[in-house]
Amino acid sequence: MPNSFHDQVITILPKLRVQALALTRNRAAAEDLVQDAVCNALSAQASFIPGTNFPAWMHRILRNRFISNLRKRRDTTDIDDVPASTFATEAPHEDRLALKDLGKAMTRLPADQREALVMVVVQGMSYEALAEATDCAVGTAKSRVFRARRQLEAWLIGDTPERSDDRAAAARASMLSRALDAQIADARRGHRVA
Amino acid sequence: MTGANDRPPGERSQPGSTGRRKVDSAFDLWLQRGLHKIFDDVANEPVPDELRKLIEDDREA
Repeated sequence: MPNSFHDQVITILPKLRVQALALTRNRAAAEDLVQDAVCNALSAQASFIPGTNFPAWMHRILRNRFISNLRKRRDTTDIDDVPASTFATEAPHEDRLALKDLGKAMTRLPADQREALVMVVVQGMSYEALAEATDCAVGTAKSRVFRARRQLEAWLIGDTPERSDDRAAAARASMLSRALDAQIADARRGHRVA
Repeated sequence: MTGANDRPPGERSQPGSTGRRKVDSAFDLWLQRGLHKIFDDVANEPVPDELRKLIEDDREA
């Protein structure tokens, strides 16, 4: 039967993985978290009301499981003591360094902001959907994304845009802009070839 | 922060200086691409057999 409860679980797995990695900052922990969340969802499937928002229900289960795990481990583990290589990527070009910086900066963001930013920017979730999935007000969801983006800009460009007189900020903004132009040019060349 | 967080990053168009808008816009696009590079691989990985079996076993139960 298409779109059964189990089909919906399988369909949402990629998004759960992304959410789990955003929360845990660790691939192995993210896999464990997804598996735990799926187990919880299967056990609680009778409580899901068909026709209601399945993705939001599933994202909330994963989030609650993360919080529950965090509480259990708090006594023995420093959750912020995570290697900066957690979000390491295999980017091939000169932007590898900038991506490495982005990966490091992401690990420094609070978990709720990191999760919100990734769900909106990577998964294309609306603020309303994010609010439902993370069990908060729409204003809170917007604020988390805004603060995450603002904080990353401050760390990666060097400061907030108000300080445009800052030479380092201007230089890094220029570097980002050049990297972006190169990527756009590459993409256009790719389209022409295709 | 009025209105500054009304649109997801990548869709920002705030009032202010042209220079600031350019930096914001370039940063948002770069951030969007960077996050996709970091997270898309994870999303595209195949479902582990153990997890798939867990779901299928429950379906058949």
